[in-house]
Amino acid sequence: MSESAPNSARFEAPDDLDAINRLYRERRWSDGLPVVPPTVERVERMLRHARRPREEVVARVAPGFGAATVERIAINAVLAGCDPEALPVLIAATEAVVEPQFNLQGIQATTNPVAVWIIVNGPAAQKLGVNAAFNCLGQGAWANATIGRALRLVLQNIGGALPGEMDRATQGQPGKFTFCCAENEAANPWEPLHVERGYGRGASTVTVVGAEGTMNMNTHTKDAGELLRAFAETMMHPPSNDYCHGGEPWLALGPEHAEILSRAGLSKAEVKRRLWEGSKMPAGRMTGKDLLRVQDSRGAELGKIGPDTLLPVSHRPEDIHIIVAGGPGTHSTYIPSFGNTQAVTREITE
Amino acid sequence: MTICSTAFVTLGRAQASALGRPDLPIAVIAHPFGLRTREEVRGIAEQCVDDIARLVAGNKP
Repeated sequence: MSESAPNSARFEAPDDLDAINRLYRERRWSDGLPVVPPTVERVERMLRHARRPREEVVARVAPGFGAATVERIAINAVLAGCDPEALPVLIAATEAVVEPQFNLQGIQATTNPVAVWIIVNGPAAQKLGVNAAFNCLGQGAWANATIGRALRLVLQNIGGALPGEMDRATQGQPGKFTFCCAENEAANPWEPLHVERGYGRGASTVTVVGAEGTMNMNTHTKDAGELLRAFAETMMHPPSNDYCHGGEPWLALGPEHAEILSRAGLSKAEVKRRLWEGSKMPAGRMTGKDLLRVQDSRGAELGKIGPDTLLPVSHRPEDIHIIVAGGPGTHSTYIPSFGNTQAVTREITE
Repeated sequence: MTICSTAFVTLGRAQASALGRPDLPIAVIAHPFGLRTREEVRGIAEQCVDDIARLVAGNKP
């Protein structure tokens, strides 16, 4: 039987946007940006898109282990400005982040800048208007901006990860405000992410990634071998959690780069294998202290690790993940991971 | 009981409360470790080992 929790408290607030935002600011219930007041009417409108009872606990969210009920997720979705139709995406994303392999406890409380990146696949992406093309990791698309923001508010308001308190990020990153896109499935020469991860092409899914940041890779080469070399050299990054622990780094390939690789006859699996081989980094490129850390963390996997040991970025080639995203142009993005995390995909079922 | 450096006491206290153990004894050690030599870290450990042993035994310092 599913767990339930009491409905959320109701506050009488003046019918004044400035006053409501002052209340949210004082109580630290926002991410630092103004919010949409979660009036009873707005929350009810949001809840019409949930199939489960409002009091049902979808997840307990680390590190505070607050109960993420359907209603509380809906309230945070209103705060972020989400369209009501987006609620099922948020419910699925909340379920995904609490899967043990995602390591939400570590992600929420770490000094690392890690943000949660949401990737939407399948028909829901188009239905909700989640941008997969021009500037898909930037501003301008309502769904991208508000869905990513809503999950951040769930993590902060329900999970209790307030900066300086349980969120111990030394610097954080802009992706902690919002970080959401869709995969450009129409421009993908290979199978889309959700199909690769075992779902039907017609399914809609959300994938959550513990992402350290974004590094643009602008190269005009039309040669697949050179392109892979440029990507692999970008991945080599000595102060990296991926190399330290064996992580799950991601590449968001621009459609033009994906086409170059596909035209050269490379499957996605072969691209991963070549990136994995090409990005092996001599452990001696790390600082002495970090070499000690990698010896502690990966000694069981790699045996004796010295300065000449070639460290793979992940345990296996298939742990490098690839999506195709963006519009025309010669850009792709490298997205290193938190290291101690595995991405999780959930079907959007509401 | 658990051990925290000063920079993480807020997290430790909040985490203990969230897990239903608000009275969890926490031994606090000066932050940071990263800039200290192994010998310095060993010295800190020797200074606080008796307090930690007392907390493990269930007696508050």
